[in-house]
Amino acid sequence: MEYVNPEGLRLDGRRPMEMRQLRAEIGVVSKADGSAVFEMGNTKVIAAVYGPREVQNRSQQMNDQALVRCEYSMANFSTGDRMRKPKGDRRSTEISLVIRQTMEACILTHLMPRSQIDIFVQVLQADGGTRSACINAATLALADAGIPMRDLVTSCSAGFLNGTPLLDLNYVEDSAGGPDVTVGILPKLDKVTLLQMDAKLAMDTFENVMQLATEGCKAVATYIREILLEHTKQLEFRRGL
Amino acid sequence: MGTSTNGKVNDFSSDMEVDAFRRLFPLRFHERHLAESIRPDGRPLGKARDTTLVLGAVASANGSALAKIGCTTMLAAIKMEVMAPTVEAPDEGCIAIEFHMPPICSPLIRPGRPAEIAPVISKQLSDTILRQEIICHYLELSLVSGKAAWMAYLDIYCLDADGALFDAALLSAVAAFSHLQVPVVSLNDDGRIVLISEDNIAAMKEKEPVNKEKRKLKLDSVPFSLTCVLHKNHILADPTSEEESIMETFLTVVLDSSSFQLVSLNKPGGPGLAHTSAIQECVELAKLRVKEVQKIMNEATSDMEQD
Repeated sequence: MEYVNPEGLRLDGRRPMEMRQLRAEIGVVSKADGSAVFEMGNTKVIAAVYGPREVQNRSQQMNDQALVRCEYSMANFSTGDRMRKPKGDRRSTEISLVIRQTMEACILTHLMPRSQIDIFVQVLQADGGTRSACINAATLALADAGIPMRDLVTSCSAGFLNGTPLLDLNYVEDSAGGPDVTVGILPKLDKVTLLQMDAKLAMDTFENVMQLATEGCKAVATYIREILLEHTKQLEFRRGL
Repeated sequence: MGTSTNGKVNDFSSDMEVDAFRRLFPLRFHERHLAESIRPDGRPLGKARDTTLVLGAVASANGSALAKIGCTTMLAAIKMEVMAPTVEAPDEGCIAIEFHMPPICSPLIRPGRPAEIAPVISKQLSDTILRQEIICHYLELSLVSGKAAWMAYLDIYCLDADGALFDAALLSAVAAFSHLQVPVVSLNDDGRIVLISEDNIAAMKEKEPVNKEKRKLKLDSVPFSLTCVLHKNHILADPTSEEESIMETFLTVVLDSSSFQLVSLNKPGGPGLAHTSAIQECVELAKLRVKEVQKIMNEATSDMEQD
């Protein structure tokens, strides 16, 4: 099947190096300490952060740093066919672990000992790249909650089909069987915190694809910064400054 | 902080900050407001919060709606699947309702331990919508008698829990049903039903479609509800989660929007006792609310059709 036609356009009309349209909104869940909605094309994800608050399970309390918990779940209607088991299955558990470890690396946990930070992510519509959208949404929600972090964490995926590196795969391209590289970086510090790939790829091709994904992450970071600045201006305006 | 004599606490409370008073003595904070016939967010006692409704919020579902009452947000989506009907009812389809409260909606929900109120609301919704086929007859959901019928899965997700959960859930469910479009299917050579996607126009011409075009479900009656909280002799309509946690006596009235007949009435115990007059007053408030909500629903439907 042709994923990149001879004119260089993909199935949804994008160029190989083009990301899908991004859209984000902060402060959507009133009950949460911080929350955000993040959309990458048709993938829509909502993240809510509760914390720092008292540890619910005393035995897990850490005396020198905060405990970070994360849960990833997909809505029953998020995928094409209705999902039977949206939470306990292996994929959800794996992604929960990945998100937790990624965010834990950048939260300054030693500033909040004996407390707990909960990150909950709910996928409302899934069209490929849910992992990346969740990490981006979690970053925004943590920023909205005012939790101290070393840097933003942004994430993007890239693949390699029909001999071309493609940025930000959607569901159809992802299920084509080609490699899927997900990268998560701290943009200002220029460090990689998450790197996952499945399927086979030659070493030099891999470097190209990873470079492309990193560029995508930097573009997401620019967008996230804009959103946060806009939000802060709104807050200033409401306070009458 | 002496709490023994009323007078002492009164003096102390006048010096305290409003927020602190609200957290430490929530009941007295609210009663002070009720004495002036107003509530902390400025609403009169019988008024509900601002309600918004958006149809078609989930593009991949056959019918969906996002309902917001104040801060309470519910997302409902319906997915249709083909199933074999039961032997006793070969001409009828089926509807399955599931209500989820994911941990994002409230700080009191822990992952792994579902909220106490979720199965209660789930059962209330099933009773209101499914029993006696209030929304639509199951015959509407039939495809090929005896062989195939529609199974509609309605999933409602609470995205923000701030009181009056049942009202918002019912509103989003009803709106999703009114937005629902039954997809086009055709009978395969093996005698199985296949979904025809919209780009597959050539296939549509070859095979005989079982139903010609996407159609909307014919809804029998459209129920809307209002939850009130009773406290001493005050009736508060559409409580927030703060009000719900302090004054624990609820009364939920579900009315049919066209004939204003009573669909369901639920007062599940609680410390407050109600005279018949209080119940009648609640039903009157519910009638006003149903008129409001009907208007909002009509606006939302016409907005959808404009697009």
